[in-house]
Amino acid sequence: MTHDALVPPAAPCALPGSPLAEARDGLDRCVHCGFCLPACPTYLALEDENDSPRGRLLLMGALLDGTVAPDDPIVGTHLDRCLGCRGCETACPSGVPYGQLLEATRATLATHRPLPRIGRVLLWGFARTWVLRSALVMARVVRDLGIARVLARTLPARIAMPFAMLASTARPSTARPFTARASVATDGVGSRGTASLLTGCVMEGLFTEVNRATERTLTRNGWAMRATAGQHCCGALHAHAGDLEAARTLARANIAAFEASGAETIVLNSAGCGAMCKEYGHLLAADPAWAARASRFAARVRDVSEVLAEAGPVPASTSAAAPLPVAYDAPCHLQHAQRIVDPPLAVLRAASQIQLVPLADSDQCCGSAGIFNLIQPDVATRVLAPKLAQIAASGAQVVATGNPGCLMQIGGGLVLAGSDVTARHPVELLDEAYGAEGRGR
Amino acid sequence: MLAAALERIVGVSHVLTRPPALLVYRSDGLPGHRALPSLAVFPGTRDEVIRVMRVLAETGTPFVARGAGTGLSGGALADGVVLLGLHRLKGILALDLDARTATVEPGVVNATLSRAVAPHGLHYAPDPSSQSACTIGGNIAENAGGPHCLKYGVTLDHVVRATVVLPDGEVMTLDRGEGTGYDLLGAFVGSEGCFGVVLDVTVRLTPIPEAVITLLADFTAVRAAADATSRIIAAGILPAALELMDQATIEAVESSVYAAGYPRDAAAVLLAEVDGAVAGLEEDAVAIERLCREAGARAVRVARDATERARLWQGRKKAFGAMGRVAPHLVVQDAVVPRTRLADLLEEIQAIGARHQIRVCNVFHAGDGNLHPNIPYDAEDPEASARVAQAMSEIMHRCIAVGGTITGEHGVGLDKLDYMPSLFSGETLDAMCTLRDVFDPARRANPGKVVPVRSCREWLVAPAARPTAPTPARLEARP
Repeated sequence: MTHDALVPPAAPCALPGSPLAEARDGLDRCVHCGFCLPACPTYLALEDENDSPRGRLLLMGALLDGTVAPDDPIVGTHLDRCLGCRGCETACPSGVPYGQLLEATRATLATHRPLPRIGRVLLWGFARTWVLRSALVMARVVRDLGIARVLARTLPARIAMPFAMLASTARPSTARPFTARASVATDGVGSRGTASLLTGCVMEGLFTEVNRATERTLTRNGWAMRATAGQHCCGALHAHAGDLEAARTLARANIAAFEASGAETIVLNSAGCGAMCKEYGHLLAADPAWAARASRFAARVRDVSEVLAEAGPVPASTSAAAPLPVAYDAPCHLQHAQRIVDPPLAVLRAASQIQLVPLADSDQCCGSAGIFNLIQPDVATRVLAPKLAQIAASGAQVVATGNPGCLMQIGGGLVLAGSDVTARHPVELLDEAYGAEGRGR
Repeated sequence: MLAAALERIVGVSHVLTRPPALLVYRSDGLPGHRALPSLAVFPGTRDEVIRVMRVLAETGTPFVARGAGTGLSGGALADGVVLLGLHRLKGILALDLDARTATVEPGVVNATLSRAVAPHGLHYAPDPSSQSACTIGGNIAENAGGPHCLKYGVTLDHVVRATVVLPDGEVMTLDRGEGTGYDLLGAFVGSEGCFGVVLDVTVRLTPIPEAVITLLADFTAVRAAADATSRIIAAGILPAALELMDQATIEAVESSVYAAGYPRDAAAVLLAEVDGAVAGLEEDAVAIERLCREAGARAVRVARDATERARLWQGRKKAFGAMGRVAPHLVVQDAVVPRTRLADLLEEIQAIGARHQIRVCNVFHAGDGNLHPNIPYDAEDPEASARVAQAMSEIMHRCIAVGGTITGEHGVGLDKLDYMPSLFSGETLDAMCTLRDVFDPARRANPGKVVPVRSCREWLVAPAARPTAPTPARLEARP
């Protein structure tokens, strides 16, 4: 051991040329202060620092200097358990780029050990538009026939969650996914400019009505909406799992599609996808043919709450109905990755039928984290438990959150708990307020 | 086998034995000191702690207690011995609003306690800069301070009672001994884990002040800021906190997510806060502003609201962590000097830094003369590392020479062990060992810390060689 106050020189890099080795500078920023510990949902749930940012950064460093081998079980255990919520980034005084380091580590490890099978199947499907659309349409059938809800109620808790998540996405409306929309024009300019929605996979497949609500709300707030043909999955799930090449392929396709659409602003209503799209510049930085195009694309990307907050947004006329108590839960990829805190609250305040109620620990992750809750169901459930308790304590009837993963994780948890509380997207609540104007007064 | 015995108590997943799993537990918040534990055990209940402690006692196993590992003295390092993590004991057991006390387990995070009692208009006053992460148990071990200790006092001033388990497994309750004997709690708080392990502690809660005014004075010379500090105290004002940050620190903070709006071109800023009853507070704030301007402040601004005040404080409290922006490694010291010598010493520190071609960032509790020179450097450069070590040693010896001491709140731990003989005579160090023996005659708790090895460990090997060797007294457990 070293008892002198100074760290000995690091050993030569054990993984030269790996994505992790390239990201090494970010690792050096950690001074081991521990301020990340209370911000880490897996540390709070599992109570071992190996499941904290400080511990995982140390494991990354140990991989690089060869102290720990890439196939050591400890690496997989603790790095796989990271939600990638990036709550540590907004707690870190030194600015450790944790999200980038995690992706680099997972990409480095991907060559040494494969993902669990369920993860590989999911990523394979998400990279293939028609496979994905077919799967989502089938899922809708299972949902709309009420099968998902029945299975969620009858299956053992351990395997019921995916069905509960699916059941929670049901909306009264019958908007059809992946079809041309009346609210989307191809010409004309709104008072605020032109915008196009990256419709996403799960958003368009299971939250079709939220996408339509997003387009209507943006139109009402002065944007001329354009449709963008040829768009794909954003690649976030692939990047988070370490498959950076698949993520890059999807990114290039999206960049080309949105260049062709000509809309000034690329709007997303999924926080996770938005965070990914804003990082296309970083993802493709080493690709000379695409780096500049990726940066230009990223600069056009905005979360729907950002653009609406910029517009005001237009408040819905006051409602005569009894106010609906709504709690806002911040998606990690909105709050920590995109650093968007207040705009979703501005969206909710514009919805006149809503009474905002405080939600304790709303900045803590719900445990969704993309496909994490399908790969690590036990950890995800332990992270979700305190969230459900706080929701119950808040007295809210609706939890508003702007990310499909969070909507399904919280929504599914509420279904399993037999709660009447539902999880909704802030924009659909504003859209409902607009829709109710002039009615029932 | 020890691991198996401990696993039977706390469960398999709460005992770590493989070196890769122990990596993160090899250091606290000062990673320049590293030592791998032989094993780490994380009990989840009070009963489990006691049972673990008894197994350790039966097997004669040395151990080191650890909270959140945010300490800055290498105090929670377990060099080849058992590391006992207490972070899972995070229950707030009782709240007595009439007596204004809370009884909590050792793993409760400092800021969590204040958040929990805020609805009752109360807070836990000692506020170490790491309060968002550090635990009350660790605070007890180090007798932790913090910016607001200038007015409110340190941890010991806020502890009423503690139930502890001694290294031999005996459970006892310690209090301040008012009228009933010695102040054993006073001895235990700040014993850096050498006397035993806290099971629960009853702390005093302080009303949230009726009003708070926070000022930020900005100076074009560090000396002027130090001078302003002396003037404020000399004027008879007792600020709640009085903190100084120099330009290098300001730069690191302003580049971070905790950017507070400190002027980047200032040589130093002084963050002053007064709190209490509304009456008279404004006068104190006006006086502080006037004294700062007289000392040469370029500007003094008052935080408009709670949000701006919180921002100013976040910047200060996260400054240590922000040093990672300057260089990959960091050493930090914790000397206390007479406040009247602050200005001179700050200049000497800068001169020492310049002579060794290193950058010293100062961020510290000016009001009580508690310096925290931070030196960011690159440990992969052995030549630079040697210069840093030399400069730090010179700084510390200067602080001792002007009548200061080597730690204000971080503790001696491992980091300041070498300075102990410069500060204390052999007899005094012997006396410290004697006190330690009262609680831990086998010296199994946090071995090798606080009192240098040559005093304590040699002594242990050859007790007969000691000048006068009193039989270590045993404490009687309270009924």
